[in-house]
Amino acid sequence: MPNILVCYKWVLDEQDIKVRPDDLSLDASRAKGKISDFDRNAIEAASLLVEAQGGNVDALAFGTQALKLSVKDVLSRGPNRLTWIGDASAEGADAFVVANVLAAAIRKAGPYDLILCGEGSSDMFFQQTPVRLAALLGLPCVTFVQKMTWADGVLTATRKLPDCTEEVRVAGPAVVSVLGEMNKPRIPSLKQVLGAAKKPSEELPLSSLGLAPGDLEPRAVRGTPKGFLMNRRNIVYKESDAAANVAQLVASLKAEGL
Amino acid sequence: MAGIFVFSEDPALARQLLTPGLELKAALDQPLVALTPSRDEAQTLAGLGADRVVVLEGPGTPEALAPAVAALVAQAGVVLVGGTLRGKHLAAHVAAALNAGLTTDAKTIRAEGGRLETTRILYGGLAVCEESLALPAVATIPQRTFPPPAPTGASAPVEAAAVTADPRVEVLSTTPVAGEGVDIGAAPRLVAVGRGFGAKADLDLAVDLAGALKAELACTRGIAEDEHWLPVERYIGISGQTVKPELYVAAGLSGQVQHMVGCRESKVIVAINKDERAPIFEAADYGIVGDLYTVLPLLTAALKA
Amino acid sequence: MSIQLTEEQQLIGQSAREFAKEYLEPIVVDMDHTGAFPADAVKQLAAHDFLGLFLPGEYGGADAGFVSFVEVVETLSRTSAATASILVNHAMAAYAINRWGDPAQKRAFLPALASGETLGAFAVYEHGPTPGVGPDALMATRQPEGWVLKGTKAFVRNAGVAKVHVVVACVDPAAGAKGLAAFIVRAGVSGLAVGEPADTMGLKGCPVADLIFENVILQDADLLGRLSDGRSLVEETLAMASVAEAAQTVGIGQAAVEHAAAYAKTRVQFGRPIAALQAIQTLLAETATDCHLARLGLRVAAGLIESGEPFLVEAAMVKAFLARFGSRFLIDTVQVEGGFGYSEFMPLPRLFRDIAGTTLLEAPAQFPDGTIAAALLA
Repeated sequence: MPNILVCYKWVLDEQDIKVRPDDLSLDASRAKGKISDFDRNAIEAASLLVEAQGGNVDALAFGTQALKLSVKDVLSRGPNRLTWIGDASAEGADAFVVANVLAAAIRKAGPYDLILCGEGSSDMFFQQTPVRLAALLGLPCVTFVQKMTWADGVLTATRKLPDCTEEVRVAGPAVVSVLGEMNKPRIPSLKQVLGAAKKPSEELPLSSLGLAPGDLEPRAVRGTPKGFLMNRRNIVYKESDAAANVAQLVASLKAEGL
Repeated sequence: MAGIFVFSEDPALARQLLTPGLELKAALDQPLVALTPSRDEAQTLAGLGADRVVVLEGPGTPEALAPAVAALVAQAGVVLVGGTLRGKHLAAHVAAALNAGLTTDAKTIRAEGGRLETTRILYGGLAVCEESLALPAVATIPQRTFPPPAPTGASAPVEAAAVTADPRVEVLSTTPVAGEGVDIGAAPRLVAVGRGFGAKADLDLAVDLAGALKAELACTRGIAEDEHWLPVERYIGISGQTVKPELYVAAGLSGQVQHMVGCRESKVIVAINKDERAPIFEAADYGIVGDLYTVLPLLTAALKA
Repeated sequence: MSIQLTEEQQLIGQSAREFAKEYLEPIVVDMDHTGAFPADAVKQLAAHDFLGLFLPGEYGGADAGFVSFVEVVETLSRTSAATASILVNHAMAAYAINRWGDPAQKRAFLPALASGETLGAFAVYEHGPTPGVGPDALMATRQPEGWVLKGTKAFVRNAGVAKVHVVVACVDPAAGAKGLAAFIVRAGVSGLAVGEPADTMGLKGCPVADLIFENVILQDADLLGRLSDGRSLVEETLAMASVAEAAQTVGIGQAAVEHAAAYAKTRVQFGRPIAALQAIQTLLAETATDCHLARLGLRVAAGLIESGEPFLVEAAMVKAFLARFGSRFLIDTVQVEGGFGYSEFMPLPRLFRDIAGTTLLEAPAQFPDGTIAAALLA
């Protein structure tokens, strides 16, 4: 029965982020947090696996103190136990730092048979953390997985490559990155929501992980994000006469030389 | 030995990488080395400005290629990797091995003050930001971000390096992705369909319009991955294809940013949607508010006339 | 109690939001057109514990409390008030059995209601002006073979799909509306028929029909509470429902105002979005404010129910407020959207019809102002 760890990121819901039209700066003041979309697929994959054959699912996250808001949310979606590292420095962390922190925490809390991550986070979409994590832990890594099974300590997974899919077999422990198409994450039932309060969670101070200052220094330093500028003509034909609209559109396309 | 290294298993992308590679070579005064798994492609790359080409001989799985590339680039200044799924796995492994920063899907790239300056998108395409990386640095670059460089007439030396399989990951079977082999990215005109179509048969309306426009059919993620009405190679978006056609007609799709990020560099975008509030109209040059079931046949007829 | 939602209550609201997006959004337009009962969505409501939301854990409920209940009802109503109506009517039956049932009745009915294995219905209205007085009023008469029920309950929600009904009948013809008692009636008992489905103005998909009793024979064990409890059972259950209906109204209003705000930002007239016009801003701001204040009021009433305190006056206040202002949410938002808002391919007409169902239907019959005034003047 596998002992599984799922890593997730608590991100701002991009749908709540507005671009200020004057200077294109981002207004996230009304943005709520959420578990990053593909990490939900990873959580669901782990939960389905242990529901089918037993085992345990733990969750691990690194973020700012805002992570506290995610505790019951993530525990209502399947995992039995949560370890989280909340530190202000997570704000500017790149995948190098994130992987260092997660690897150090796993060395402390592990070992695990399977470590699952989403393909990439909904905010930064680095798509690096699982591979870096595997490299740091000296584990094999199967990325962009669509399907997987686990039997007798061996993972069989179907991964996506540009021109094909491959079925691969890896003896655990291994790191896996999960695609959004793998499953449909469950909506927690009320009993699962209320049950989350009874599950254990532990905050680990970043300082307890024994990382060197260099391990926490981002190699890729992010500048201030700016809204993507949409510079389009925005000419909309909306008369009630559909034929007239079409005629105007055709004339416009001709004028564009199309 | 320092160097600018480029790698992609995708021949077109491999050539495109040489364009920023040559700029970095000039800026950093380091040789440009192309790594390729294809001996045939090596000759082409050797004529496009690379100072040296290394053919990676052996298995093409990400876990086999990644350590081989990491060993070759151990002294690199910059490593540019084509942003395919295989490339992204490989790049992350190389970055880990080099303790280096990695920009995912860099849109621009330049060397300045001994650092690599890149731009990329965040929040599913809502925002862009700059990243500044200490050297050595790694970046993945999506298809069609750069044009390929012109042939130099010269031919750089080609060497070989061995790739050995990772015994921990056993490939049991390989299934080619079922598709028609259409290169959506190369099509100059696209008609893209979304959830506004109620049934697969209704896509005929879009097929007819595409015929009249001499366009290819494209779609949203939902149409390809949830409904399976069209092959995944036709879906446009952050995890699908990125295209830059001269004309992009979006019919019955709302224009979520995750979709638009794949097509917003099109020259002209036309939207047809019955919901005047759909975000697609903000992203479009021309739009018609109306039911696609009425508008598409009229438009097809008008174009044929 | 705090007026702010606890973390659990917020997460339950989030579950309801995800639920509505996944299971209700795709069906809501069709439901409105066809009036078809959303059987699959109701199954999912059960699977996510919404049907047993406030029932005690010992009967398989989630024991999540009434504040969570109204949060769920509001959230579901933003997408489908009709589905919320199915839930609310089910909850009325569950509430009454949980509150007045004896241990045997609770054991017999609550676990299945909590799991959603059986859907409940609460039948109180009749074709006459008040229960117990019209020509086809449901009368329960003591006979040697037991209680014999004869008459018709009108406009029963969930009729035809419910397997358990809490039915209010007149047991004392002389006392009329004051001589009411409640019975638990299983679907399929001999003599019980479901009338033709009513074609309603709004809340389409929530079934409405008469329940026709032709000498249905029940026993004392089917009586819910004591005979003398009938009046308070009806009063309290309807008051609980009016808090839930207030949550439906607020949900519908919130959906309308958000839709209208988004519309106002994109609709350009005289060279600028209509959102820049002060008249539009006022319509939107007033609606949003009324929604917000109504939400606080109904949350307080729900909190009182949750903690077992008297809540009839607070429930009546919420009901009276929304009877006056609730339908204005839609009048104002349709004005914002103008001709487009009036078109059936936009959601406002559906919301308009639905809000009629949650605000106008019961207030005149119950006269909440009377309850409030009585408390003031006592």
